[in-house]
Amino acid sequence: MPLAIELKSITKRFGAFVANEDVNLAVESGKIHAIIGENGAGKTTLMNVLFGLLQPDEGEIWIDGEKKNLPNPAAAIAAGIGMVHQHFKLVPSLTVAENVFLGMEIRKGGLIDHAAQIRRTAELSRQFGLQVDPTERVGLLSVGIEQRIEILKVLARGARIIILDEPTAVLTPQESRELFQTLRGFVAQGMTVIFISHHLEEVMEVSDNVSVLRLGKNVATRPTAELTKSDLVQLMVGRLVSFDRLPRVASVGKTVLEVEDLWARDDRRLPALRGVSFGVRAGEIVGIAGVAGNGQTELAEVLSGLRPSSHGSIQLNGRTITGASAREIRAAGVGHVPGDRLVRGVDRNASISMNLLMGRQDQSPWSKHGIINRAYLLEQTQALIKRFDIRARGPESTAKSLSGGNIQKIVLAREFTGDADCLLIDQPTRGVDIGAQESIHGEIMRQRDAGKAILLISVQLDELIRLADRILVMFGGTIMGEIPGDRVDEEEIGMLMAGVVPEAHSNTVGAA
Amino acid sequence: MEVLERLLNISLVVATIRTTAPILLVALGGSFTTKAGIFNIGLEGQMLVGAFFAVIGTIATGSPWLGVLCGVAAALTLALIFALLVVSFKANEVVVGLALNILAGGLTVSLMKAIFGTRGSIFGHGLVGLPALRLPNVKDFGWFGQIISGYTPLVYAAFLFVPVLILFYNRTRLGLYIRVVGEKPEAAEALGISITRIRYVSSLLCGLLAGLAGAHLALGYTTMFTENMSSGRGFMAVAILIFSNGDPLKILLGCLLFGFSDALSLRLQTLGISSYLVLAVPYLVALIALFALSYRSRPRVIQETLASMGRALSVKSNTIQPAAATDASKP
Amino acid sequence: MSDRFDSLFGQALAILFALGLGALVILTVDESPVRVFVTLLNGAFGSPERIAGTLLQTTPILICGIAACISFRGGLFNIGIEGQLFMGGFWATWVGFSFNLPPALHLLLAMAAAVIAGMAWIAIPAFFRARYKTNEVVSTILANYVAILFTSYLTINWFKRSGGQSETPPIFESAYLPELFSFSRLNWGLIIGLVLAIGVYLFFTRTARGYAVSEMGANPKFAEYGGIDIKKQTFLVLIASGAVGGLAGGVEALGVHHRFMEGFAPGFGFDGVIAALLANGNPIGTIFTALFFGALRSGSLLLEVDTTASREIITVIQALIILAVSAQITIRRKASDSTAGERRWKF
Repeated sequence: MPLAIELKSITKRFGAFVANEDVNLAVESGKIHAIIGENGAGKTTLMNVLFGLLQPDEGEIWIDGEKKNLPNPAAAIAAGIGMVHQHFKLVPSLTVAENVFLGMEIRKGGLIDHAAQIRRTAELSRQFGLQVDPTERVGLLSVGIEQRIEILKVLARGARIIILDEPTAVLTPQESRELFQTLRGFVAQGMTVIFISHHLEEVMEVSDNVSVLRLGKNVATRPTAELTKSDLVQLMVGRLVSFDRLPRVASVGKTVLEVEDLWARDDRRLPALRGVSFGVRAGEIVGIAGVAGNGQTELAEVLSGLRPSSHGSIQLNGRTITGASAREIRAAGVGHVPGDRLVRGVDRNASISMNLLMGRQDQSPWSKHGIINRAYLLEQTQALIKRFDIRARGPESTAKSLSGGNIQKIVLAREFTGDADCLLIDQPTRGVDIGAQESIHGEIMRQRDAGKAILLISVQLDELIRLADRILVMFGGTIMGEIPGDRVDEEEIGMLMAGVVPEAHSNTVGAA
Repeated sequence: MEVLERLLNISLVVATIRTTAPILLVALGGSFTTKAGIFNIGLEGQMLVGAFFAVIGTIATGSPWLGVLCGVAAALTLALIFALLVVSFKANEVVVGLALNILAGGLTVSLMKAIFGTRGSIFGHGLVGLPALRLPNVKDFGWFGQIISGYTPLVYAAFLFVPVLILFYNRTRLGLYIRVVGEKPEAAEALGISITRIRYVSSLLCGLLAGLAGAHLALGYTTMFTENMSSGRGFMAVAILIFSNGDPLKILLGCLLFGFSDALSLRLQTLGISSYLVLAVPYLVALIALFALSYRSRPRVIQETLASMGRALSVKSNTIQPAAATDASKP
Repeated sequence: MSDRFDSLFGQALAILFALGLGALVILTVDESPVRVFVTLLNGAFGSPERIAGTLLQTTPILICGIAACISFRGGLFNIGIEGQLFMGGFWATWVGFSFNLPPALHLLLAMAAAVIAGMAWIAIPAFFRARYKTNEVVSTILANYVAILFTSYLTINWFKRSGGQSETPPIFESAYLPELFSFSRLNWGLIIGLVLAIGVYLFFTRTARGYAVSEMGANPKFAEYGGIDIKKQTFLVLIASGAVGGLAGGVEALGVHHRFMEGFAPGFGFDGVIAALLANGNPIGTIFTALFFGALRSGSLLLEVDTTASREIITVIQALIILAVSAQITIRRKASDSTAGERRWKF
């Protein structure tokens, strides 16, 4: 088989962090080649290197048997490579045809020849079986059709090797199936497809070959037919993660947070939560696992009052808080460590003490008769800096002068020291160094032991295994199943994360 | 009835066209920056220096056309400073726009005092306006001829710019890129379109038309320069730009509304209504339009939501049906 | 500390640069920059009377500047202070000449009228900004024109002093804001302004509500997350800003003119806005920038007598200073930020 692409010993570093290490990858021409791996395994970095968006520190790129130097995307496009990014870059007010030809407009007498662009778009659409109406405005179309347009953009530029970065992340199962059909059509016409995913099911269904990346390395490239799902999981995760579960005593109390049939929309106004139900009891950590973008962030936002729900009920200590404002929910006893801490969690330009004040500025003793109690604030700030080990010069240091881990500790210090009964913790250690991770985990455990009901959302499985008493797996806005924290089965959780209910274990999918 | 007849007749239409032209020119200028995603509150100042330097240029050279050129050059200078600070130095658009307006006000009065030793207005000194164009054979068209003939050239230019801009945004590469930069900068970036360059170009195109608007105010609409003679037209233009979203046709409609209210209010004055109230009418119209249209945009958001929900929920039927439908429609 | 020092140093450099540019402008109008600057200084500080005159000009700029600070801190732009000042001035005068009341009460009621007028005048733009995100920059600017024309209309068509020019009757002495010295019209307005500046400063640095407003201006998402009701607070901040703008008009009417007339207080509202911008929304800083602009204004009176330059040259200098420091002004909102989603500014 001729090779469409051959990557030889590609290494890419970002500072001290090695995103790709000595990666060799051979992609056969006329095949669908899946690249699979966990978040942060280096899939996207590798593809950005291949598309000329990043320059490798070491290694060679060979395309169709020729060694190529790809200083920018234009060079990659000229070499016949096209990339469909995860985040679409379409202009809503332009038509499909205008978007397809944006940047390479067909012109006649200096003016854009819309008729020709529409004709060409229709031709491409027919040739590759990508149904679109070239004259429709993109802003009115669904995500699935937007993706077709992105693919058409790539085809219009003459690509013969097409890279799709997590193309199904935004699609419904039906749309995904259609996409796969299209991709098979491509290879039937002699084109090559590289397909990035972490959905096992899909990879099994659509790909001819699969490469597994783990921690920046290519750990295996095999024909898909030779592998089972559990082989893939094994390869992705490596040896079973050292489950250094933090020691604990079971001390579960009454139900604090009770969520029933909760529905909500995301920023694109598409359903992000589809009937989520669960409960969190005092003194337990309930983990939410799942691939990013499956409704976890929306769940935290709805529970903290920052996003409206469209259906369902939320109860806190038996009181209904559905539809309450962020202020009321805080007052009712919910603390929230947001996933986007630099946007929502802190004011980067404000001092540590001013960041610690947020949300409690109206409460005694933080303020009296509307006047901030500065002495108390300073005293508390110093105490919290000490207790949470925030590495800063003093209470007046601005948040932006601190490292990511220390900024997160400010957020924890604020949210954990209120009189909340329930804590929503979203990605507590994302972008946080190992040392700080350790102390953040310790702090979360202390909160558990103090009898708080904790909902812990994380895309890092090892974090959940370390901390959670129970793990709920989310996929596509629903809870796929529940796994006890002390009996985690890698394969089972991986399948649930991929949207598959494993038959053999279906009995563990309890009363969720 | 009599009152109505006195108010509504052909000369009102003519007056509307006259009063629409200056604001139309400056609003069309603002269309470039609006489309490129820049909030340009500095139109007022660009128009004012355009008017002043058009007068200075005309007096200096004796030719109103060279005067127009001077006015445009002055407005372009202001537009360049605006772009430099806002695009290159990332300064706050509102702050820079306001400061340039204040600069324009102070500069024109100071220079007027320095050059002519007077304040208030400049007229005489050999100042000539742009000639009115009498279209040939207009008599054959009856009342329509009356409406379309006899304006100064920049009035025709203003109305001509509407279709030109529509063509520009829809059919030229630059126009398309301006829209893309304003609407989805990351798409422009991904395609290698320089956002900085496009924003500079839009700012300068805006300065060009704002300068023409000023020149028209001083050499066509009147034949003089008065302190602060733009009198808020630049701000009204910004109001129009907000609710027209920079679309030339909607700008035309908005400007006609203001032109009409302006012309009508001038007539109301003849009915003995206080000139102060009458002069406030265009500003009030702008405010009411601004509020009313922002109120209206609310249900639209809701409708959009419902529509997209409906689409999302009916994905199943959606993804299967179109294929079937197109298959069926094939001959 | 070094951050603050750097920004102060940069600010000073920018002002020097602007003054240099101003000198160039003065050269183009055929005057000596040195003579203009000396005349300005002399006009502003040459004698106790002149210093008092400078402070008299500073007063309305300071109060308007504080009004602007309040909105800037909340991430909002009230550019309509000029209009609120005119409305405040008119209605304070109206109370001043329409009723005959005991001294302290009369003054208090007239001031209250000014404050209420200012609040009323910004209420509609504030409501639409809070509720529908209607751009408040444009709506408050347009409202200025209406306010100026409307107060002129009221003055001339309804309350014109018989035999007088376009002005109202004088107010009763019971409504006068007392003067500070015998030799100047400088009055208690300055004290009100200073107290207000300190009060607003303390409000923002010491109170819970002030903290909530500052955080809304600094990072609205953080404020929302912390449970602050953005809509309600946006409305209240603009109303408070309008109230102080109205107060500025009341002080000017009751303390200086004792009547209302056309062209009542030209440009003080805009000067206040730029004084607050230059101070980056800090009320204490605004005391000094207002003094600076007051001195320019006061000095410019002598400018027209002693030199050929017009007093508007100071407007040019002010604008140049703002342009020169504009890249450093960190008022934390681009007009485009108030849109939902990724679309360009559109309301």
